[in-house]
Amino acid sequence: MQRSDHSIVRAVLAGDKEAYGALVRAHSATVFRVAFRIAGNEADAEEIVQEAFLRGYQRLEGYQGRSAFGTWIYRIAVNCALNRIGQPGVEAEYRHGDESDPEEKTVQVATKDADPERVLLSKEISAAQDTAMRRLTPTEKSAFVLRHLEERTTSEIAEVLNIAPNAAKQAVFRAVQKLRRELAPLRGNA
Amino acid sequence: MNHLTDDELTELYYAEGTSAANAHLKACRECSAQYSRVKRSLDAIDTPPVPQRGADYGDRVWETLQPRLIPFEKKTRGWANWKAAALVASCALLLSAVFLGGRYWERVSTNKTSIASTPPTSQRVILVVLTDHLDRTERLLVQLEHAGSKDRTANAELQSEAQELLASNRLYRVTASNAGDRELAGALDRLEGVLAEIANDPKLSAADIERVRNDMNTKGILFEIRVLRARSSDEESRPGAAKGVTI
Repeated sequence: MQRSDHSIVRAVLAGDKEAYGALVRAHSATVFRVAFRIAGNEADAEEIVQEAFLRGYQRLEGYQGRSAFGTWIYRIAVNCALNRIGQPGVEAEYRHGDESDPEEKTVQVATKDADPERVLLSKEISAAQDTAMRRLTPTEKSAFVLRHLEERTTSEIAEVLNIAPNAAKQAVFRAVQKLRRELAPLRGNA
Repeated sequence: MNHLTDDELTELYYAEGTSAANAHLKACRECSAQYSRVKRSLDAIDTPPVPQRGADYGDRVWETLQPRLIPFEKKTRGWANWKAAALVASCALLLSAVFLGGRYWERVSTNKTSIASTPPTSQRVILVVLTDHLDRTERLLVQLEHAGSKDRTANAELQSEAQELLASNRLYRVTASNAGDRELAGALDRLEGVLAEIANDPKLSAADIERVRNDMNTKGILFEIRVLRARSSDEESRPGAAKGVTI
């Protein structure tokens, strides 16, 4: 029978360090997904996963079990990602490349249409989108990623980012306005 | 009903719009056309697919993490626990005695002086604390209005102050909201957005500050805070019961 996350947490707090491994195994894929979507590259996402679970362990005594462990660690991961993309010299990257290449931090995207002109245009749009995403503030970017890609509700975003629901909603609106404004010329040409 | 704003259309796109907005969208051609444009542009925003992790990914994360973790101490039982429990109980008893003694003393001295019109001490303290918070936020917003320099130290100070205020602001907002003080809750809510932007931007630059000023109408919020501070100061100095939240 599988143990619940809460009983695992109790076991860890009682001194069973190995039990934490079960929580890491159960939630690392979800944490990686949101970390990648905010940071935009695999290397940073991997580090965010490590940092989130480490911080989670260090703060485990403060976990009161009011929310599921998965929600709690997700929130920590978003905050780690937020700090990381805000650090000088670390920029979220959303580059679409021709080949998956960890060195180049690019990800392969399958193209349905082989027409070179369309491929070029698609690359231009992707580049413009990357730039537009980079111009968002960390809060706007995280709120937008959570809303648009992670499909979280406003109240969930507010909880994860630890801000008021209205502030979360406004952050999404500002991100949408900025992205639409920046991408409008290209969409018009497309 | 007026036409829907882009923000309302965005809310509808994310299935969080009001039923009135939904009904308007169905009835209004102009809004329907604008909604199609919003939808098209949002549909087109994509990011690279998330790279797949293998089934052993969790194991790999755990392998790297495991050596860095120090086990929590096992809960000790027996005499040490009894000693701790006895200590806690003694402290609690002492605190209760001090509290009850204080209450008795307060009642006796209040009866002697017969000052019926003095507002409850707790409310005066609350108003002083809230006024202090509003003072600090006002100072921060004024600094924000004039911050144009590229001085990183000044920006870091601004950010550190915003981080401190963000935590207390959240508490005041929730309390104001629970107490039904919509004016105060609304202003603190808008203020929280500004504080979050400043606090969460570790490389806060002059350009970022400029952007926050423009995007979030900090001048308007500053005005609101000044009005609220004046209200709070009036209540603080007025004898009798104070209006507003109890924090």
